Amino acid sequence: MIIISLALAAFAAATLWWTMHAWRTPETLASTRFSAPDGDHRLTFSLLVPARHEEAVLSHTVARLLESSHQGFEVIIIVGHDDPETTAVAHQVAASAPGRVLVVTDHNEQKNKPRALNTALPYCRGDVVGVFDAEDQVHPSLLEHVDHAFRSTGADVVQGGVQLINFHSSWYSLHNCLEYFFWFRSRLHLHADKGFIPLGGNTVFVRTDVLRGANGWDGTCLAEDCDLGVRLSSRGAKVVVAYDSSIVTREETPNSLAGLLKQRTRWNQGFLQVYRKGEWRRLPGFGQRMLARYTLTGPFMQAFSGVIIPVGVAIAMWAQLPVGVALMTFVPVVPMAANLVFQIVGLRDFGKQYEVRIRWHHYTRLIIGAAPYALVLTVAALRAVWREYTGKRNWELTQHVGAHLGAQIVASEGRAA
Amino acid sequence: MTTTDDRRPGDADTLVDVPRTVGAGFDIPKARRATSPMRPSPVPPAVPNRAPSATSSRVLSRPDRYLACGLTVLVLAVLATNITGFPSATDDEGTYLAQAWAVQQGNGLAHYTYWYDHPPLGWIQLAALSWLPALLGWHEPTVAVGRLAMLPVVAASLLLVYLISRRLGLARWAAALALLTYGLSPLAVTMNRQIYLDSFAVAWILAAVALALSPRRHLWHYTAAGIATAIAVLSKETMLVAVPAVLVAMWQNGSRSSTRPWTFGGYASGLVLVGVFYPLYALLRGELIPGAGHVSLLGAWQFQLASRSGSGSVFQAGSGSWSLVHSWLYYDPVILVEGLASTVIALAMRRLRAAALAAALLAIIALRPGGYLPAMFVVQILPFFAIVIAGVIHHGVIGLSPRRHWWRATVLGVIAVIAVAGIVPRWYAGDRRALVADDNASYSAAAHYLRTTVPHRDETTVVVDDVLWLDCVGAGYRTDNVIWFYKLDLDPAVAARLHHGWRDVDYIVSTPALRQDAASLPTVTTLLTHSTVIASYGSDTGRIDIRHIDKETA
Repeated sequence: MIIISLALAAFAAATLWWTMHAWRTPETLASTRFSAPDGDHRLTFSLLVPARHEEAVLSHTVARLLESSHQGFEVIIIVGHDDPETTAVAHQVAASAPGRVLVVTDHNEQKNKPRALNTALPYCRGDVVGVFDAEDQVHPSLLEHVDHAFRSTGADVVQGGVQLINFHSSWYSLHNCLEYFFWFRSRLHLHADKGFIPLGGNTVFVRTDVLRGANGWDGTCLAEDCDLGVRLSSRGAKVVVAYDSSIVTREETPNSLAGLLKQRTRWNQGFLQVYRKGEWRRLPGFGQRMLARYTLTGPFMQAFSGVIIPVGVAIAMWAQLPVGVALMTFVPVVPMAANLVFQIVGLRDFGKQYEVRIRWHHYTRLIIGAAPYALVLTVAALRAVWREYTGKRNWELTQHVGAHLGAQIVASEGRAA
Repeated sequence: MTTTDDRRPGDADTLVDVPRTVGAGFDIPKARRATSPMRPSPVPPAVPNRAPSATSSRVLSRPDRYLACGLTVLVLAVLATNITGFPSATDDEGTYLAQAWAVQQGNGLAHYTYWYDHPPLGWIQLAALSWLPALLGWHEPTVAVGRLAMLPVVAASLLLVYLISRRLGLARWAAALALLTYGLSPLAVTMNRQIYLDSFAVAWILAAVALALSPRRHLWHYTAAGIATAIAVLSKETMLVAVPAVLVAMWQNGSRSSTRPWTFGGYASGLVLVGVFYPLYALLRGELIPGAGHVSLLGAWQFQLASRSGSGSVFQAGSGSWSLVHSWLYYDPVILVEGLASTVIALAMRRLRAAALAAALLAIIALRPGGYLPAMFVVQILPFFAIVIAGVIHHGVIGLSPRRHWWRATVLGVIAVIAVAGIVPRWYAGDRRALVADDNASYSAAAHYLRTTVPHRDETTVVVDDVLWLDCVGAGYRTDNVIWFYKLDLDPAVAARLHHGWRDVDYIVSTPALRQDAASLPTVTTLLTHSTVIASYGSDTGRIDIRHIDKETA
């Protein structure tokens, strides 16, 4: 029991320590930002926007992309052959900006994001391929910063910040936003420093030659972004992460708890797949391999601690244990509680950086919601393990395609009735 | 997975097609691009992660280290010489050492029922250091020998005083002055030799201040500062008073820093999450809330804060606090008076404010009328007084800028000579006394008598003060039969062990500590009246009598 407690405490402490990476010293924090661009536009970009049943948001997203202050970029919208509505919108947008926007049709039977991206890869003419989701709000000066980041650091990959913004929408969105905040603001920088990085799903820029050399994305993987990061890392690609709250790509949280659960299950299962693929074993450093192992299994360790720590504490409270042992079971709670303290500070910082007013009830919500949110994550992790080992490896679709899936279910139920 | 194998014929499925398909309107200006399109333009050296302040992040430069260590060794030599002879052992020292002994033996947190009088971390640390006196093979009196365990603690405090002084921007000579003031003031020499929980608390709070002033401003340093503060408070609860000073140090050190809110998060986490283990311990033992039949943490706090009778006002002649402060002044008025004056000045100076605030808060607690003033409280104030004294002198010298004009140098020289002439003889006399006095001879002799002359020790019950308690346990008396005199009247568990009341006691050792409180302890008074002196050491008020109980006379 003591050993388990100490192991859990060590795990939680390490996670906390890595989560806090960017705020270790003022200098580390300064180094996580984009350096100011020099105004030179030397690289050219091909921006991929896979869109699936997203006719509502697509034109706005592309319009934002076209506002970019950078001179050398093209936008490639990837639509499915079975999705005429989005295709229509895409062509409409392309017509509005001839030469800048290209529409590519994905004819794969089974549609998912990595396959869509692979479909578009041969069309890319820019020096750098960038990926965005159809609902992203991209800042006009982002490309300029990324251009400069590539040139000033000699990077092969630049990961920009992504931030969920609608923290006020629901109790879980607050936690979801903060998760993104800590991940992109801090944790990813640590990964970039250590040379092992699970990339994010969008606002990620890769040199086209490097991407082609790596054979693009894995069309069977549920976390193609993570997988790409792992493969590029193990090939020694140099990854740079930069976060600037002013030019971060803004997104929204899943619009229902079920959506969040599905999304998280997919990511977790994707991590598990990447872990099982074992590409990370090719990483040169032992420390890197340990970090990879740790990161890829992290969600499951988290789920495990989420279950075991409360049990331990309950035993300590109600069973007649020696006081010393009982005290030990509380040790893993310390880093978890510290994490909550830092989340409170993080929420305040989030409010300042994004100029939103954080009120006292948000802090209350943060504290009260911490345990239920951990429970959701635990359920998602267990669900991911269950799906992976029962062989359910299909792309479990989140909100935009979820509607489509829901319609099918309704239809089949209708037929059954 | 390759990029092409999923596509159907008829798509634009080769790269060659692409330019034809989209080329016409595809307009990516590359005019300013360097010669080779796929190579990044010449890469400037990677952006350095470290700021220029990296040079100042060294803990201390080499001369600093030699100076601080050399002076610390010097002070330690003064402290260690005759440490068993002066000052006379006090009951408190005996209590802490006995509690440390209980921890070491696995008997719980005290040699009697632990009633949350103080948080236990101080004597747990003392227990961890108790191998040190044992190493030298000295034996009695145990308390005086046990003082050796305090030397590493004081050494840490001395080095930290130097480090803090440097981090507050003092010159090397001023930091050395702070160290020497703290180390050699006769009051400090007296107090630092003794086994007090306050010394542990001082070392930890100084560590917290030093960490809060860390030039690297690392999040971990601030978290560690929080942990150190928690340990300080759990070593001696009154250290809580100094917490604002650590916060001020952090606030000033983090000014114009982008990470300041996070540093406070780290500090709060460290402080609260370590500190909470103390009430948690009480909770797990079912001793958090007052209730019938058991001691409790909250009950003890209520007693300490509300019920405990005060020791009177410092400003009222004859009160307990008054005589206590006068005894401090007797040892060394210099550090106290000058420290208080410097604190007032230093509060107005930004660089010195953190240390001055600690000194001021602790002084206010000491001087507040009506509160309870413990005898060793001054231990907590002394290092901060030393730092502010040195700091004010440092800034005074800089303000005078003696290099600008010969008369300025002369004025400074005259002041220095007067100060040295006034202080050095006084300190010399005080420290010399510490080096030669033998104030514990009576205790030593009494311990020797109890160990060698008393027959049938394993069946004999003795009542002693806490200085001799461990000596008796070590001499072969059964632990249950060595009774700390307070507990006869105040601990029901002890009274229950004596089936025939005071007649179960065979000897009582009457010491100054025992006689001081005997009036309020009826059983002790009875024992003193029904006993005869069989051995006596020393004279007058410092006398130690070993008395045999006359069981037939009642």
